[in-house]
Amino acid sequence: MKTVSDLLREADPVRQEPSLGEADRDRLRRAIRAGGSRATGRSSRWAPGPVAFVAAVALILFGALAIGSRLWSPGGATLQAAVRFEARLAEDGPGAGLREVQLSGSRTPIYLHQEVIVSNEDVAQSRVVAADDAAHFNIALQFTTAGAEKMRQATADHVGRPIAVLIDGEVVMAPRLRSPIGESALVTGDFTRSQAERIANGIGLK
Amino acid sequence: MNGLPLASVRPIGLLDDPSERLAAAFDAHQERLFRLARRLTSNRDDALDLVQETFLRAARNPASIPVGLMGEEAWLVRVLINIRRDQWRRTVVRERHDPEMKPSSWSSGHQEDAVIARTTVWRALDALAPRRRAVVVMHELEGLTPPAIASLLGISAVTVRWHLSMGRRDLTRLVTSPKRESHEDR
Repeated sequence: MKTVSDLLREADPVRQEPSLGEADRDRLRRAIRAGGSRATGRSSRWAPGPVAFVAAVALILFGALAIGSRLWSPGGATLQAAVRFEARLAEDGPGAGLREVQLSGSRTPIYLHQEVIVSNEDVAQSRVVAADDAAHFNIALQFTTAGAEKMRQATADHVGRPIAVLIDGEVVMAPRLRSPIGESALVTGDFTRSQAERIANGIGLK
Repeated sequence: MNGLPLASVRPIGLLDDPSERLAAAFDAHQERLFRLARRLTSNRDDALDLVQETFLRAARNPASIPVGLMGEEAWLVRVLINIRRDQWRRTVVRERHDPEMKPSSWSSGHQEDAVIARTTVWRALDALAPRRRAVVVMHELEGLTPPAIASLLGISAVTVRWHLSMGRRDLTRLVTSPKRESHEDR
């Protein structure tokens, strides 16, 4: 009786097929070189994939410019509008009950779950914290007990898949979950101090 | 002469030019990545595309690649598995909502038993989530120990052993159940 290990070894295509040939390597080199050239100076775009290399345990990234532009009123330095904040689970592909939306600044669609995981009411505290480079600032969100529990339950089985951040109903960013989110999350971006303060304060206006 | 076979490989971090860094990374890791990609995909073309996409991701952000061969390898392997995971999820969603895309049968009555067994076990691997599949093939086919896999993937050895256990269980179930399904199909 053969074991699964035996069957796997017998079926292993690497043992049955030729290894990477020179023609394959050339094709790959050409494609990568072309891709590398295009990457130089390319505008940033959202791309599904391994965003998981960000260092934070649970990191929500906001589009700094997208949010900043919504909050920063030209010539209205004192204007502070409430910001409707929502986080929803999302998928890369379509599915029953999912709503296709276009990501700000990207042609790539994303598919939103209908349920809102947390919103402004679930944020106990939002504050500005200095980023590593000292020139930029992030926003630390502390969820309420109920909000943290909702985030934990919703994200526990969603690791590696996107979570959408909505500002006033518009998806501004959909990073991938690196691990379940609990009590807190760090919102990072190239925020100036005043931008970060406006966002943090806007989320706090319930 | 230090006898190290990798002595000619330049650590990526020591190269200032991004294209040189990428070329060095490609030379150092393409074989290893292709073997893993082939074991995570259904055919050779998909494996080549997967390797290509992995290096394209590196090309977009060469500064993210850690210094040192071990770090480079781990980074590229994780990127490759993440890309495969995204592809796999899209396929799963499509199959769930488009029954015509599902494989009609895992075996054919005209095939020899040995071929059926190989096809069946590889189809069974297709049903595993890519990270679990990667853990299984790294252990079963590459001979890596759970701690080595854990180090490569940036997860705990306990998690690796769990994936191995669940992977073997899933494979055993999937390898034995399709026979009934194929009879029912016929």
